[in-house]
Amino acid sequence: MGILEDVYNAIIEGKVEDVAAGVEQGLNAGIEVDDILKKSLLSAMDLVGERFGEGEIFIPQVIWSAKAMQAGMDLLRPHFSEGQRKKSARIIIGTAQGDIHDIGKNLVGMMLEGAGFEVVDLGVDIKPEQFVEKAAEEKADIIAVSALLTTTMISMADVVSLKNEKELSSVKVIIGGAPLSMDFCKEIGADSFGVDAMDAVAKVKELMDL
Amino acid sequence: METGISNHCKPGFRILDDAQIGRIHDAVLRILDEVGVRVNHPDALDLLAGHGARVMDDNLVQIPASLVEDAIASAPSNLVLYNRNKTPVMELGGRRTYFGTGTDLPKTVDLETREIRDTRADDIITSTIISDALPNIDFIGSYGLPRDVPAGLHYIRCFQMEVENSTKPIFFTAESEEDLAVIWEMACAIAGGPEALSDHPFLISYNEPTSPLAHSKEAVGKLMFCAKNRIPLNYAPALLAGSTGPVTLAGALVVAVAEALSGLVIHQLTKKGAPISSGVAATTMDMREATVSYTSPEFRLTHSACADLFHHYGLPVWGTAGCSDSQYPDLQTGAEYAFTLLNAALDGANLIHDCGYLGQGFVASPELIIFADETIGMVKRYMRGFEIDSEHLALDVIKQVGPGGNFLQEKHTLDFFMKEHWQPGIFNRKNLPNWIKAGKKKTEDKLLEKAREILDTHQPEPLAAEIKNELDRIWEKCKGEYCGDFRRCL
Repeated sequence: MGILEDVYNAIIEGKVEDVAAGVEQGLNAGIEVDDILKKSLLSAMDLVGERFGEGEIFIPQVIWSAKAMQAGMDLLRPHFSEGQRKKSARIIIGTAQGDIHDIGKNLVGMMLEGAGFEVVDLGVDIKPEQFVEKAAEEKADIIAVSALLTTTMISMADVVSLKNEKELSSVKVIIGGAPLSMDFCKEIGADSFGVDAMDAVAKVKELMDL
Repeated sequence: METGISNHCKPGFRILDDAQIGRIHDAVLRILDEVGVRVNHPDALDLLAGHGARVMDDNLVQIPASLVEDAIASAPSNLVLYNRNKTPVMELGGRRTYFGTGTDLPKTVDLETREIRDTRADDIITSTIISDALPNIDFIGSYGLPRDVPAGLHYIRCFQMEVENSTKPIFFTAESEEDLAVIWEMACAIAGGPEALSDHPFLISYNEPTSPLAHSKEAVGKLMFCAKNRIPLNYAPALLAGSTGPVTLAGALVVAVAEALSGLVIHQLTKKGAPISSGVAATTMDMREATVSYTSPEFRLTHSACADLFHHYGLPVWGTAGCSDSQYPDLQTGAEYAFTLLNAALDGANLIHDCGYLGQGFVASPELIIFADETIGMVKRYMRGFEIDSEHLALDVIKQVGPGGNFLQEKHTLDFFMKEHWQPGIFNRKNLPNWIKAGKKKTEDKLLEKAREILDTHQPEPLAAEIKNELDRIWEKCKGEYCGDFRRCL
């Protein structure tokens, strides 16, 4: 199949416009949404992740593949079945209250989008209540909180307790950032911890049973 | 149009200004003219006498300045070395720097047991294969001195093992004119005859005078053989400030340069225009241990001064770096490798040898060639400097992203990150959790892993079967004729 292969290659090469054009063309040609999603988009990103893990490619290349993937997803999403929608988790992401460092958070957001998830980025210095309110409003599956400062990581505990107070028990909380650890994650009762952006994607997949 | 500004800025370095070069050079000329050098070779003495040098008792020769200036003028300013396949790969001259291993380390830290033991013939193959695989190692020395090959034959055997396992230029040692002739015979067999070899030389002979101010019969014999046959030669002394030379660095430099330049005179009188690389290693003798420091800061100063002098002469210049006085790979090794490699690159030395050395020139540890390669990669990136044209100043991107934004996802980042940023191959940049997850590997562990990986997977381009057979024939002949003293056998 020419179109599926072209889209697959365009994602690997990080060619955003080519992916969008290819997906459009595929949909018009009546190719199954599921085929485009699995055979082109997801499998290309699997290879990108694999190459990154092997040290063959670097973060900017992954980002551009993720962008290309995202361009394809935007076109596919309106055509998703209920089952496909379920697999595409919605994630609320932001930097913890008092922290305005956002490179790590942005990187995680881009990687999650690249893996096919829907990401709602709240930005920096986000209060626990904002995370929880937005999660309820967006019917999110996951709240992802990032912190670089040891002084701000404490507010992550408030996100977890507030979420539990509001009876959003199905919403999982994942945390990440340089000073954090799995021990801290357990201590505050968060559901998972990603040591870096690629690990965050793997942990979200675990939380979603994917 | 922006005028009068270079868009490329690079680290630059010299420590002698023109007046200082003149002062040192004048002192060198006075030493050669007023003190002279000992030349223990009858042919060289005749040659020098025939060209106006004063030959006196005890083979002492006083050389007038004009002979020195003539030799500097007639020696080529650019020495091109080819690989085994006749592709030019090194242009020794200017500030073009090339890195490679050294020769003659009698002890080796075993890759498997990590014990220090005698160097063996198979170690030469190991270091050659590792060097062949590494992008920043430009030329190959024997690295080790095998104890399991008879002393008179080991340089021949080393050369054979090196050319069989790498196409890169070979930096080789010979004991005397006799084994040099055998090595040359092997090289001619590979190149397709003496003419073809001198047109496309893939080897350079390492040879040295004896400080202070003496040229041994063997050294001069090899030097003249190289000149006559147009075999590229590196002729440079290793002087010890405080014992084989004056303790002061300027004095040490003057004596060592006088030795190098008097060698250059004999070389150019033997054959004008024959290819030669020159320079000095003027280091210190440790005044507590009576050992030779390969990495003293004083050596780096004379190294820099030597590079400035020979750049001024317009002659290819030798260098020393990527070596350590430590007896075992450790923190000292790391500091000394980095310090010397950066310094040699800043100096703009051409033929930078001894990468991978330990133990003041006595101990090999093959994975350290990989460590040198990694450090050279870092140094090369630094030396490349950076561009400051509008594309690199990136004002458009800065405006677009603005305060509080993110450059990571910009096309500009994708387009330039590989060109602008060096990527380590060995050195750690993992965060703590990932480093723990990956097995808490130290640099030493990764170097050993990489060495094993190269030895398992890297396949050097083989020699053609008929050439390999010819080298075997030459080797068998030497071995058969060997009677304990190589020089009496031929």
